[in-house]
Amino acid sequence: MDFYLGLAQVIGIHSLLGLSAWCVLHTGQVSLAQGGFFAIGAYLAGMLTSMFQWPLGYALATGAVSACAVAIAIGFPALRIKGLMLVVATTAFAEIIRLFFFNFKWRVAGPEGLVGPDGSLGFGGIRYFPANGWSSFELNALIWSLVAMVMVLLAWLDRSRVGTMWRAIGEDELAAQCAGINLTAAKVSAFGIGGAIAGLAGGIFAHYATHIEHGNFGILLATFAIAYPILGGLASLWGTIIAVIFVQGFLLEGLRFLGEWRSLLFGVLIIVVMIIRPSGLLKASLGMRGRLNKAAREPEYRRDQAKSGTTDEVHHA
Amino acid sequence: MLELQQLSRHFGGVKALDQLSFEVRAGDIHGLIGPNGSGKSTTVNLISGVYRPTSGLVKFKGKDLGDLETDRRVHLGISRTFQNIRLFGNLTVWQNIWAARVVRSEGLKGFRERWLSGASRAKEDAELLLSFGGLEDKRDVLASNLAFGEQRRLELIRAAASGSDLLLLDEPAAGMNAEEINDLELRIRELRKLGRTILLIEHHMELVMSVCDRITVLNFGRKIAEGMPGEIQQMPEVKAAYLGSDLPTAA
Repeated sequence: MDFYLGLAQVIGIHSLLGLSAWCVLHTGQVSLAQGGFFAIGAYLAGMLTSMFQWPLGYALATGAVSACAVAIAIGFPALRIKGLMLVVATTAFAEIIRLFFFNFKWRVAGPEGLVGPDGSLGFGGIRYFPANGWSSFELNALIWSLVAMVMVLLAWLDRSRVGTMWRAIGEDELAAQCAGINLTAAKVSAFGIGGAIAGLAGGIFAHYATHIEHGNFGILLATFAIAYPILGGLASLWGTIIAVIFVQGFLLEGLRFLGEWRSLLFGVLIIVVMIIRPSGLLKASLGMRGRLNKAAREPEYRRDQAKSGTTDEVHHA
Repeated sequence: MLELQQLSRHFGGVKALDQLSFEVRAGDIHGLIGPNGSGKSTTVNLISGVYRPTSGLVKFKGKDLGDLETDRRVHLGISRTFQNIRLFGNLTVWQNIWAARVVRSEGLKGFRERWLSGASRAKEDAELLLSFGGLEDKRDVLASNLAFGEQRRLELIRAAASGSDLLLLDEPAAGMNAEEINDLELRIRELRKLGRTILLIEHHMELVMSVCDRITVLNFGRKIAEGMPGEIQQMPEVKAAYLGSDLPTAA
């Protein structure tokens, strides 16, 4: 039973992470920075409860808000670039954050000796949950109510004008701009909201794990974050959750007997899904697919133009 | 309403547009014609802010648009369609219109529109446009699943949805059959009746000659003629530019 409760916690935390990437993917951006925001939330919230005895709620909120602020700050310059270059830039950012925590040492005297981040040795003693006698079940309740809250918020956002703009940009940036949508505002808002959710997930993770280190926040974590919404499709938030359950529950835990070969399956899975269901497992409507299919649709346009005897192309800036 | 002054755009050594000046008067349907590669689409891209001019000015309602971003120009009242249709393919018909309409509801005005007025103004507008485009029964269809003519129509009403006073239509009749072109003509006239000014870039001469109040003719990036449709058809330089293609003698 304990095993399943623990697994449910991991799935909940990764669901939040996947939902954070979902926001950014909506605008058609592929960002690998989610692991960096996750790390900021984790270290900050962990430090606040363990070193300064803050209540958990405030610590988590501060972690989320800080991750959001960082996301917005790097969002402005980063979102001027697109596609592969954005992937490279966001990966670099996540590495900077990871290497910062690799070197970051700040320990203060706590009730049980020194606590705080200790560079490459990691940051242990984030013992808010055990110290306050939280059961595994209670921790699950907290995690999943946060997942539910975030999902309700995102579902509402998706139906609102903000979501419509995000989707429109994910479909076609130039057309969206010509429909009057401010690209920078929409992309930065998606980045910021995604950053906040990743920061929140990180805060929970730190307290769940009680010991965190720079290695937790590498490129693999960012890949997971982006893989969930891609596998699940962007049409529905449930797709992301189902993808997390599938990857964490089945692929990583269910196939444990395969040892480290499982990681290989993860890559195979993404490739297979891209081939057989380019819009994700659930019937999807968005972004990635639009991008991939645009190339495929192009010849059709050219035929139309040939039919009408037109050759002067719009040269897209 | 719209004034181009000595507008030029060079791509390397190619003068796609050279010292173009003309004016679109409020309430007009103004045609912009010319052979392939004469700079028509470049003109649209300059007016909508997709390109920046090499030199010259674009003035809208007496104001120089300068380096203004495309989306800000939409808010001032200039929207456009594309020669090769660019819809939000995986959004429904309704969402396509809504995306363009909703950006107008910003700030306090938007707050009032969305929450304080009984029925939402924005929703009403979008419904109206939906029926204007004759797409009521397609509202939940994905834009990419529409027929070609319907996609053109949707793009037209999406441009109209942003509430712009000036619509730049970049070859809206491209690829259409005769029946669809008649239908398009009616809708363009209807939009003008609703107070929109239209700059029509088109290859289809019959449509241009019958619907436009004034026409500007481009060739090799330069203006070679301007006038009423009847005058344009008689001009030897226009005939020369179109030699070999079928410029109709009577509209």
